[in-house]
Amino acid sequence: MMQSMGSEFIQFATDAPLPELAWQFDSNRIEIQSFDSEPIEAPEICSEVDEHLGDWILNTLPSVLPIQLGQALPKTIGFAFPEMPNWGIKSESEKQASDKQPDKSLPALFDPKEPKELAGSPKSGFPKITRMRPPGDLVRLEDRLYYVLQPPLETIVQSAKLTFPFQPFPYQMEGIAFLFPRAAAILADEMGLGKTMQAITTIRMLLLSNELSSVLLVCPKPLVTNWVREFRQWAPEIPLAVIEGDLHKRQWIWNNPQAPVKIANYELLMRDRDLIDSGELQFDLVVLDEAQRIKNRNSTTSEIVRSIPRSRSWALTGTPIENSTEDLVSIFEFLSPGYLRDDMHLKSMGQATRDYVLRRTKDKVLTDMPPKLFRPADLELTGEQRASYKAAEEEGVVQLSEMGESVTIQHVFELVLRLKQICNFDPATGASAKLERLEADMDEIAASGQKAIIFSQWVESLDMIGSKLERFNPLYYHGRIPSNKRDGVIDQFKNDPSRKVILMSYGAGAVGLNLQFCHYVFLFDRWWNPAVEDQAINRAHRLGVKQAVTVTRMMSVDTIEQRIHDVLEEKRELFNSLFAETGTPKNLGLSQKEIFGLFGLNIPRQAKAA
Amino acid sequence: MNYPGESAKHEQKRMETTKQKTISLGFLTVRKHPSRGYFGGFLVLNLLARPLEFHCTLPVQPTRAQQILYGATLDEFISGEQIARALILKAKSSLEVVFTDTLAALSGRHVQETPLIAIDGSWERSENTIGHPVSQGHELKSISALDYRFSVLSQYESDLQRIHALFHKNDSSIDLIEPFGRIEEALLEAHPAAKAA
Repeated sequence: MMQSMGSEFIQFATDAPLPELAWQFDSNRIEIQSFDSEPIEAPEICSEVDEHLGDWILNTLPSVLPIQLGQALPKTIGFAFPEMPNWGIKSESEKQASDKQPDKSLPALFDPKEPKELAGSPKSGFPKITRMRPPGDLVRLEDRLYYVLQPPLETIVQSAKLTFPFQPFPYQMEGIAFLFPRAAAILADEMGLGKTMQAITTIRMLLLSNELSSVLLVCPKPLVTNWVREFRQWAPEIPLAVIEGDLHKRQWIWNNPQAPVKIANYELLMRDRDLIDSGELQFDLVVLDEAQRIKNRNSTTSEIVRSIPRSRSWALTGTPIENSTEDLVSIFEFLSPGYLRDDMHLKSMGQATRDYVLRRTKDKVLTDMPPKLFRPADLELTGEQRASYKAAEEEGVVQLSEMGESVTIQHVFELVLRLKQICNFDPATGASAKLERLEADMDEIAASGQKAIIFSQWVESLDMIGSKLERFNPLYYHGRIPSNKRDGVIDQFKNDPSRKVILMSYGAGAVGLNLQFCHYVFLFDRWWNPAVEDQAINRAHRLGVKQAVTVTRMMSVDTIEQRIHDVLEEKRELFNSLFAETGTPKNLGLSQKEIFGLFGLNIPRQAKAA
Repeated sequence: MNYPGESAKHEQKRMETTKQKTISLGFLTVRKHPSRGYFGGFLVLNLLARPLEFHCTLPVQPTRAQQILYGATLDEFISGEQIARALILKAKSSLEVVFTDTLAALSGRHVQETPLIAIDGSWERSENTIGHPVSQGHELKSISALDYRFSVLSQYESDLQRIHALFHKNDSSIDLIEPFGRIEEALLEAHPAAKAA
């Protein structure tokens, strides 16, 4: 027996590399001295090694040291999560009424001809799954897992039966997944990618899941009605309250718990500062639209928004940096005070902000969006304009030079503005090379049934343009148009086929408007900062645009306009290279040195010290 | 001698008395890292796919004795009788059924009462995904339904009926594959070392 059966066992024991085990084979006895500090029960060994051998060991060998395999189960860690409410799911009674009776013949579930639509699957209409990612500053594993383990957004949307006016783009779902778990965030998508929709949908989902109950949205005054309209479109079931009216009315609205979303404008916050500072208000979330409004952290507006008691803070802006990284630091003073410092190295700042800022550009996410076609209109001044320009420049430069050390940047600005105005219209005769070109272009645009937006930085210029374009039935949208009439102007431009052109100032028309039905934009004169020009252009070139947008940038050659243009283009190239590398842009506007340099002047010592 | 499953049955009965009575589904996965051992993850969802519980094991390294004595069946022993059993027993929710993407874990059905059903399907796995333990190819009973193929060990064929009863009665449209992606993300959060080499 030992020879026939035991040889297998001996072979097994000998071949197996068991340094921790000491085997002893006698004629009819096996001794196992130890086994990895845990005893093994003989029958278990044998059942795995050799059934016959087991019998042999049990029946033949009288003395076996039992060794047991440990029965301890692996150690686990676990978490239970609060169950989210059922949101828009049918009530119990509705559910009972629509309950299907089981089909005894052939269960529908198993019928390949009736495939069930699965939440989150490609069949459900969403081409991809969008998962929430926990923010980097969330430390506890349980908190992180709470977000990691939530269903994909598409599943939540479907199970909650949330409807949208149109299916969001995948990058917009990513934006919602970015905002949803964050207490501090900047959504810095390029203009026209739908920041408003992403913010509203996230707010909607957070309200429906009871993660929020009170939200304050602060935006520039002209955009309040736009936000109201967008909320009605994207979250029609969410009650809104616009903070407006006299003090008593505003006081009531501020404290009205019936409306979970309140909309205020920046200007109004100044008036209601006492209410905000009273300590009676508390918001789960404060959202700043066009957050570049607080880029000056010492401004009263910035101080007030920072003082609003809140749990979460989001900033929406297409231009988180308009002039310098200090703009971004100021926005972070609202999001997370002290997190960024002005003296941080650009690269460190880029790394520090990476988890808080989401920025996408159209060329990256909307590869099939019609392009922007830039058409430079480099124009020679008319004879009258050139004469006026030359005289004004020579006189101005002489004056500046004579001022010596007492010259200030304001003096230089005044000269720049005077020259730029001459580039638009000759002050004596009203002659304008730009207008001649514009009229010719407008004839063509109107003849093809299209409309155009014309931007200028001066209302006076807009008025002069309008008077020459009467045949196109122009509309005006600038700072002198009362805010309660502005929506009507936009509606008219959109719906009245006879209104072929709208004249806008950069200040009033550069942000928040959706004019994607218009495919021609004219920049009659140039703004100081390309970021503002981009915002203006993107009123037309935004989501929903059906065809390419043609942007005509008018510039008078051999003038101050060309000198400014050259400096800004150089800086734009620098910005593009820095932004690609670090995610944070540099100063895009003109520095003091560059402004003085427009006329070949050096910065006076006095201005340097300032 | 008690079969290991016996004590588990007693323990499970005790735990079931305290379990909540909402319908919930379990999703179990076991992954095998070439050097760090086995990782088990278990997600409990309600019928709206919302998470109720998550449990995971610490990395399980089989002992040398287990490696030798379980031989080719080691993956099934660790995945089913050890990890699946440990995780399912931790659930506080009342589980209708546990789905697994790990065939080797089906042996866990021997040692606990909740139906354990393997499910085939594909989902977008990240580059960090580590492999599954290996099953020895036991006799399985399978059905195809929806877009899935469900399999159980042949001696537990009746478990398949639970699927029909569950989904027909509750009209759930939950995606049965997608939760495994969540478990993978959660395992990487809990055990960053579980990333593929």
